[in-house]
Amino acid sequence: MTAPLPKRIIKETERLQTEPVPGISAQPHDDNARYFDVMVQGPDGSCYEGGVFSLELFLPDDYPMTPPRIRFLTRIYHPNIDRLGRICLDVLKNNWSPALQIRTILLSIQALLGAPNPEDPLNEAVAKQWKENQGEAIKTAREWTKLYAQPKQ
Amino acid sequence: MGAKVPRNFRLLEELEKGEKGLGAEACSYGLDEGDDLLMTNWNGTILGPPHSVHENRIYSLKIHCGTDYPDKPPEVTFISKVNLPCVNQSTGKVDLSKLPSIAVWKRDFTMETILIELRRFMAAPANKKLPQPAEGTNF
Repeated sequence: MTAPLPKRIIKETERLQTEPVPGISAQPHDDNARYFDVMVQGPDGSCYEGGVFSLELFLPDDYPMTPPRIRFLTRIYHPNIDRLGRICLDVLKNNWSPALQIRTILLSIQALLGAPNPEDPLNEAVAKQWKENQGEAIKTAREWTKLYAQPKQ
Repeated sequence: MGAKVPRNFRLLEELEKGEKGLGAEACSYGLDEGDDLLMTNWNGTILGPPHSVHENRIYSLKIHCGTDYPDKPPEVTFISKVNLPCVNQSTGKVDLSKLPSIAVWKRDFTMETILIELRRFMAAPANKKLPQPAEGTNF
């Protein structure tokens, strides 16, 4: 059946549990140790503050030679995240290096929430709004955070 | 065996492949709603195979990928009317168990696999001359 889980993935998973990153959690599925439920809190001071965003992350066969696959499951108004939750982030593409890890990627995603970059857009409509009327865009991002990214409980 | 790709990442792969176009096989598919985070409802088209009654016809289908896809096959339904032994003649629903090569579902099969097999089924000697409903009619 499935090949045994590489040591590297086991170590990363353990460390995510024993030394969690503040504002981030990643929990592997019981039936697939390469598939994680991820939670990222919107950074303080950003228009995503107070939001709790769900993501899913998958480590392909050739990880860490190729980057993890990751996307948002929570709807989010952000110029670098498209309508299906796919993320435009250099370290997930050309700037990936096997020296990076799940935890560094999740930190980069949290940082991306704190610093939207409409000059390198994935979501053209949102990026346009961001450039033409930043105040309005930030307002929409805050509204969506309230609407879609509230902690469950 | 390799890592088991979860449903959503598998569907993203299929979406990206579908967006690039499949070219020669004359089938296409895409998401119904571009913001459907669950990627449940898809549409597909099949260009009728040459040297058959289906030649030059374009058939539309809907494809429903449930939460257990691709462990279980999707539900496939013709929107365009078509007369084929694997298609329910009142609803358009496809009985995948009647398509020889995919009757036993495998996790590796994709929406593309199904569309290509349906097209091949249309061109099969037993089916290529079946009388067809008027072109452009829907179930």
